[in-house]
Amino acid sequence: MTGRPARDRASSKIWLVARREVRSRLRSRAMKISTAIFVIVILLIGIVNRAISDSSTPRTRVVTVGAVPSGFADAVQQAGASIGRTITWEEPLADRSAADAALRDGKVDVVVDGDAHQMLFTTAVNETNAAVVGAAWRAASAAQAARQLGLTPAQIESIVSPPPLSATTVETRPDNDVGRLVGTLSAILLFLSLNTFGAMVLTGVVEEKTSAVVEILLAQVKAHVLLAGKVLGIGIVAMIQFALLVIAGVVSLKISGTSVPSEVWVALPSTLGWFLGGFAFYSTLFALAGSFVSRQEDAQASAAPISLMFTGGYIVVFVVAANPGSTLPTVLSILPPFAPLLMPLRIATGVATAWQVALAAVLLVTAVDVVIRVAGAIYARSLLHRGSRITWSQALRRGEPA
Amino acid sequence: MLDVRSIAKRFGSIVALDGVDLRVARGQMVGFLGPNGAGKTTTMRAILGLLALDGGAITWDGAPIGAAVRSRIGYMPAERGMYPSMKAREHVVYVAELAGLTARAASAAADRWLARVGLADRGDSKVQDLSSGNQQRVQLALALVHDPELLVLDEPFSGLDPVAVDVLEEVLLERVEAGAALLFSSHQLDLVEDLTRDVVIVDHGRVVLSGNVDDLRAGSRVRYVDATFTATPDAAWQPVGEVIERTDRHIRLRTDASADGRTLLDQLADAAPLASFSFSPPELSEVFRNVVGGATASAGARTGSTG
Repeated sequence: MTGRPARDRASSKIWLVARREVRSRLRSRAMKISTAIFVIVILLIGIVNRAISDSSTPRTRVVTVGAVPSGFADAVQQAGASIGRTITWEEPLADRSAADAALRDGKVDVVVDGDAHQMLFTTAVNETNAAVVGAAWRAASAAQAARQLGLTPAQIESIVSPPPLSATTVETRPDNDVGRLVGTLSAILLFLSLNTFGAMVLTGVVEEKTSAVVEILLAQVKAHVLLAGKVLGIGIVAMIQFALLVIAGVVSLKISGTSVPSEVWVALPSTLGWFLGGFAFYSTLFALAGSFVSRQEDAQASAAPISLMFTGGYIVVFVVAANPGSTLPTVLSILPPFAPLLMPLRIATGVATAWQVALAAVLLVTAVDVVIRVAGAIYARSLLHRGSRITWSQALRRGEPA
Repeated sequence: MLDVRSIAKRFGSIVALDGVDLRVARGQMVGFLGPNGAGKTTTMRAILGLLALDGGAITWDGAPIGAAVRSRIGYMPAERGMYPSMKAREHVVYVAELAGLTARAASAAADRWLARVGLADRGDSKVQDLSSGNQQRVQLALALVHDPELLVLDEPFSGLDPVAVDVLEEVLLERVEAGAALLFSSHQLDLVEDLTRDVVIVDHGRVVLSGNVDDLRAGSRVRYVDATFTATPDAAWQPVGEVIERTDRHIRLRTDASADGRTLLDQLADAAPLASFSFSPPELSEVFRNVVGGATASAGARTGSTG
């Protein structure tokens, strides 16, 4: 009859199902609003950070009264810069009473009275400022004395600014804090994403059952095609949101003036990989749980074992964060249900060995394959089942391909 | 030609299908009748491959029904279903694409069918915003949008207003004239008789009667006589046969199928001058009740059945 080209391949139907899923999700108001809120919150964090750091940058205003050693101004600023403190050098004041007034009015933080050999503060002596200004005074005075003794500038330099000592440690620590932070954050992000989009798969499947549209769909496509399309479509939506959040995060860091830690760029691709594996694994199970029920009210109960499994994994994340190298987290991080949450953290903290990562990846891919096959076989039957909830054990007992 | 051969299906201890046989040729319409739970819906689902059979076979043009054949079937399930938040036109396009049409062909077909069912201007409405009658029309468009060769419609008339029934009848006749095979179930026997002379009656998962409506009626053991007089017959007059209904000038009798119409006419004409006379087999609905009631009585040993 009319317009019937060869578009019957399963892959193109999976894509059709996925495309419908992506379109309807992206169009949904709830999705737009929640993503917008996430992005705004992330950007606000950057803006607030910027505001806080602007107001709290250590800044010391110094003014002098009377005679001070030449080069004192430079010395003060160098000493300040060496400890990350900005020193502003005000125009010297005429007399002590003007200096006292400037201090009381809060126009300056430190007054150096060269004639009286005094450092003046308002109410309390700021030890850091006192040390910085004091050190600069000693250096400038020494340099002046050396010049009066007729030493050359090079000789003066070697006396006043000897090569500094650098600080270092004899042992490197086994874990690193930035890695731990990045790893924990990705675990939290994965948990939230799996939770949000797993629930989306769950309610989506139940909606297809309760609205009975599934019978029309199953007349045209196989159950496993429907399953794969749904998981793929919602996975794409999750990726789009994930990408928006990462972009917002980078922009936010730029706004706050912080450079993006290199650990983030190292962790991102692997986190993404583990996320994809974890998403395929869990959302397939969520779809299956959805196919067991005929009412939205039963969906949560049906999905409870899955939620329990990955909430458990999430809790272990914090055990791992505290002690990434211990045995239990190591074993769990290799097992498919927990690997997506735990492996990125163990990789980021540098405790995961190559064989552990490889084994976990192989196991996860295998598990995803098995779950999709088994689910595809059960799905066709459970989708058309009406009435009371099918339990997991019933489903698996009768799980031979139809 | 759709060929359903002695298909069987059990759900646990319940026998849903117990050897159903039926055939629908291209260009033929078959009405599928039976009480609730007789196995009509289960048979239709089996044709679409929506459940695994315990026995028997279903073929289309001699080949088992696979993905390629399924995309040429138009199906309207008993339980109507659409995505509530999808726009009507989008929904029709989506199902057309799933059936294998290109985006362009699906789009054109969706416009054509929405116009055909009288919803040309409602394409952008969400399904949930349409009245239930209009949702039914969209559902019909979903079943027809890919120009199927075989139509399997479960209770297509239920919930339709008279205008929509007319549209549906017209569309179905048109499809069948174009060479499609149509199997449809219905409880409204008058609608079935309007459309087709070919029926299959199932009960308890078995075909209890099938064939041409006129043959089935003629095969009945009873006949009905209806006579209208121009004058009231004498009160003492007693007609031959079982009186079903009697008023002053009208009488309805039930007789055995072997009775001779000519003799009956003569007897009645003797009683009073006749205005009209008919001697006819029972209506389809009575044939239906007779076979279904009989089957129910003889099937007491079974545990029950589902749709």
